[in-house]
Amino acid sequence: MQKLEDVLKKWEPVIGLEVHAELTTLQTKMFCNCKLEFGAEPNTHTCPVCLGLPGALPVPNKAAIESIVLAGLATNCDIEKRSMFYRKNYMYPDMPKNFQTTQGPIAFCMRGHLDLSVDGKAASERYAIDDLSVGEGRENIVKTEDGYTAHVGITHIHMEEDAGKMVHIGGGEGRIAGATHSLVDYNRAGTPLIELVTEPDLRTPEEARLFMQKLRQIYLAIGISDCSMEEGSLRCDGNISLRRRGTKEFGTKTELKNMNSFKNLHDGLMYEICRQAEVLDEGGIIYQETRHWDPSAKRTVVMRVKETADDYRLFPEPDLAPYDLSDEFIERVRAKLPELPDEKAKRFEEDFSLSAYDARHLVEHRSTSDFFEACMKAAGQDDAAKLSKPIANLIINDVAGWLNSMGDVDLDDCALTPERAVKLVGMQVADKISSKQAKEVFALMIEQDKDPDAIVAEHGMEQVSDAGAIEAVVDEVLADNPDKVEQYRGGKTGLIGFFVGQCMKKMQGQGNPKIINELLEQKL
Amino acid sequence: MMNQMTLSQMRQGLLAKDFSSTELVHETFRNIEEADKSVHAFLELTEDAALETARVVDDSITMGTFDEMGILAGIPVAYKDNMNLLGTHTTCSSNMLANYVSPYTATCVQRTLDEGAIPIGKLNMDEFAFGSSTETSAFGATCNPWDLSRVPGGSSGGSAAAVASGMVPATLGSDTGGSIRQPAAFCGVIGIKPTYGVVSRYGVVAFGSSLDQVGPFARSVEDAAVLMNAISGHDPLDCTSQHISTDFTAGLADGIKDMKIGIVPAFMEAKGLSDEVKSKVEEVIEVVRSQGAQIVEIDLPNAQAAMSAYYVLGPCEAFSNLARFDSIRYGYMDPGHSNMDDQYDFSRAKGFGEEARRRIMLGSYLLSAGVYDKYYYPAQQVRTLITQDYASAFEKVDCIIAPVAPRTAFKMGEIADPSEMYLSDMFTISINIAGNGGMSMPVGLGSDTGLPVGVQLISPAFKDENMLKVAAALERQYGIAKVAPAFCADAKKGGE
Repeated sequence: MQKLEDVLKKWEPVIGLEVHAELTTLQTKMFCNCKLEFGAEPNTHTCPVCLGLPGALPVPNKAAIESIVLAGLATNCDIEKRSMFYRKNYMYPDMPKNFQTTQGPIAFCMRGHLDLSVDGKAASERYAIDDLSVGEGRENIVKTEDGYTAHVGITHIHMEEDAGKMVHIGGGEGRIAGATHSLVDYNRAGTPLIELVTEPDLRTPEEARLFMQKLRQIYLAIGISDCSMEEGSLRCDGNISLRRRGTKEFGTKTELKNMNSFKNLHDGLMYEICRQAEVLDEGGIIYQETRHWDPSAKRTVVMRVKETADDYRLFPEPDLAPYDLSDEFIERVRAKLPELPDEKAKRFEEDFSLSAYDARHLVEHRSTSDFFEACMKAAGQDDAAKLSKPIANLIINDVAGWLNSMGDVDLDDCALTPERAVKLVGMQVADKISSKQAKEVFALMIEQDKDPDAIVAEHGMEQVSDAGAIEAVVDEVLADNPDKVEQYRGGKTGLIGFFVGQCMKKMQGQGNPKIINELLEQKL
Repeated sequence: MMNQMTLSQMRQGLLAKDFSSTELVHETFRNIEEADKSVHAFLELTEDAALETARVVDDSITMGTFDEMGILAGIPVAYKDNMNLLGTHTTCSSNMLANYVSPYTATCVQRTLDEGAIPIGKLNMDEFAFGSSTETSAFGATCNPWDLSRVPGGSSGGSAAAVASGMVPATLGSDTGGSIRQPAAFCGVIGIKPTYGVVSRYGVVAFGSSLDQVGPFARSVEDAAVLMNAISGHDPLDCTSQHISTDFTAGLADGIKDMKIGIVPAFMEAKGLSDEVKSKVEEVIEVVRSQGAQIVEIDLPNAQAAMSAYYVLGPCEAFSNLARFDSIRYGYMDPGHSNMDDQYDFSRAKGFGEEARRRIMLGSYLLSAGVYDKYYYPAQQVRTLITQDYASAFEKVDCIIAPVAPRTAFKMGEIADPSEMYLSDMFTISINIAGNGGMSMPVGLGSDTGLPVGVQLISPAFKDENMLKVAAALERQYGIAKVAPAFCADAKKGGE
């Protein structure tokens, strides 16, 4: 199969996402008072309503309506005051009523968008991005210094209820094929779900990944879901089609499922783009079908072919009156909007003179942005400006790297306090320790739960910045290596590294490399 | 004689200690055992629960706390079999639910129990309330107590027949297109379909969610009003139910002087309206005029489209409401299928009766892509127009008088053509479409058939007390509805 970059020369991928988020932070289900709890004993959180027993009626959860309005406001959507629920009729054993209560043509949230910053390697997936000069636009993108920004339309966000969960017994890996029987757990039935549908504005797997990451940050910031892709509280399906570069008409799309991590989302889309290109290049046709991303086999496989459009016999849910949201209600919800990641990044740039890149990465996770703010507070007003950049570096590189390596660790629970981080970075900025030493201290600090100055003292790591002491060593090194001095002066300036290394060696790594460099250059 | 007592008379008897609640319950079941052999109104009896409640009521009489037991204390009440009552079968007269036992109780049922009512049992109906004769019940038809060869009407035929035969003084039924009013008319008892939203639908197996409404059957206006007081009002479990604080018993004695009563000339000229029903309605109009009411002719220009709209909206909602009966977790399961679709299809084909299958297929077709726009949407527009018709009519009048059914009770098996059967509801359907209240008031026997005739009283939305006032005025003229002659204890004694 061809590589993505080769495929992109000829074909333009058109990608739209459908993102389901369970409103896990609510106490109760969408239309009854059953508790929302992941992993409870099967069928313990059920009642006549969510079991769809004869005679039961839905009563909407007001908090869920608040959550979706919050999501709409946070993604630049228009809030539709008049919307209603519909019944989507189809039969399946995990659907207690054999219809799903969902929304029709008018959802609570319509016509929104998110702007993505795509930079570095991620930007290179976009076709011919380097043909643009900074500030120049094309389609829905504008070129920036280190990449581009992309404007991604959101068609709507609608509210619906989740179905139960089926487990198939007797087949392989819980699959239905070969199963002898199936079990249904209705604990999940009636869980409030919001589905966001994007416009077909995405062009690369990286854009899709960044969109999901950004959406997840927003949902976490507004607190409507725990957004766990593993546990399925945040799920994403992709619709992908290819069209020949320069043409406008959409190709036949496939729907891709089982992309339950950011990596799977990216890799699944990338595979599917390349697969479709191969089929098309060989003169084949793409069937409108649902495909399943198999991350272990690294390929997509057909789940089912849609020969005709499903007829869901959608009609207005007669048990629920149409909504008429008041301005007061919408404003009350708007007042609950917290600072969103984009706004926070902007504030970090302005208040702490950070680069856009640093600010954006700090706000990727609530824990890292909170930690950064705590550090700035601990540093005090005078030092904050001086320390902001190195602290941002510490968090983005060392802390994030360490958190990644540890897996599921909470920043609040570890030995790294904002005070210790500020001390550590303070010592480095004051040239008391080298950056290399700082990394060592960081590791020891977390491992031994000690203050950084205690570690430095204990290990005798104080950096020597006394010019007199360093000069003596420099002189010594130059005297020991007259031939190298000769070569350097003859133009082989790369030897400076050798001299610095020799000095450091003599000083057991505690010499200030900046001063060593300066003195060497003077004397040579 | 106990079987001829009204709810109010029973209450007085209990208070006066003429009989105990336990005695009344025993008498009730003895009477049912005898009478229901020929009527077949009951599908299930709840004797244990009834006696248990009766003991509590008797204790309260002994302790002098009877008043605290509620407005239905000690009153035998029975329920249409589409109403859930914990521990009873709720079959909707369908093989599909023959073995279904309710794990919870409907709000309307619970409210009667909270008021001290004695649960007597569950009543026969047309399967899933699809019908106008109770002949579509999977468990056999109910007979009209006035003439056992005739139908009691439907779908709440069991509820009407149980009251008309004096087995119980009060029952609950449900009305989607006339299912309370038409059987009440056929059986010569009072039947009320309150305004949509007055009574909670929670726990009542849905047919047409936007049309269904629960209401009482009784033999006196006061009894019916007491039942309305018991079951009406907002239910947090039904978000279409409204806050109602009306005392429906108040003002019944006020008279109707200066009330404006509407009549609809188009109804009186309708094809199919029998002479005896027409002349009864005309007689009633003279009665209310003579009591000082002002008669005003009104026009409901779109009412003739109600039937068409109803047979779009009703089946659409029914199709979706009945989808849950899929044999997976409860209900009839056709054995021996290894494939899910086959199990669905065969279970539903065998579990549902013919009329249920007809409406499900109709709804499935009407909602399908390409068809929906042609029928469902126009039907909703018609619905809006009819609602507006009633709203503007009620700017001029306080109540409307109309026929209930075009004729008196027909013979079992007489109407085989479903579309002819649908015409039974030609005068009642538009009220479900518009949502306001309507009731059937018995006004004596027809001059040709000698069978009971009911007249329909129609109220503005959430002004259900208006029709009760007019009903009380008619009751002063015609008297309290009688138990069908063959079931009067006196008559039977005379025959012995």
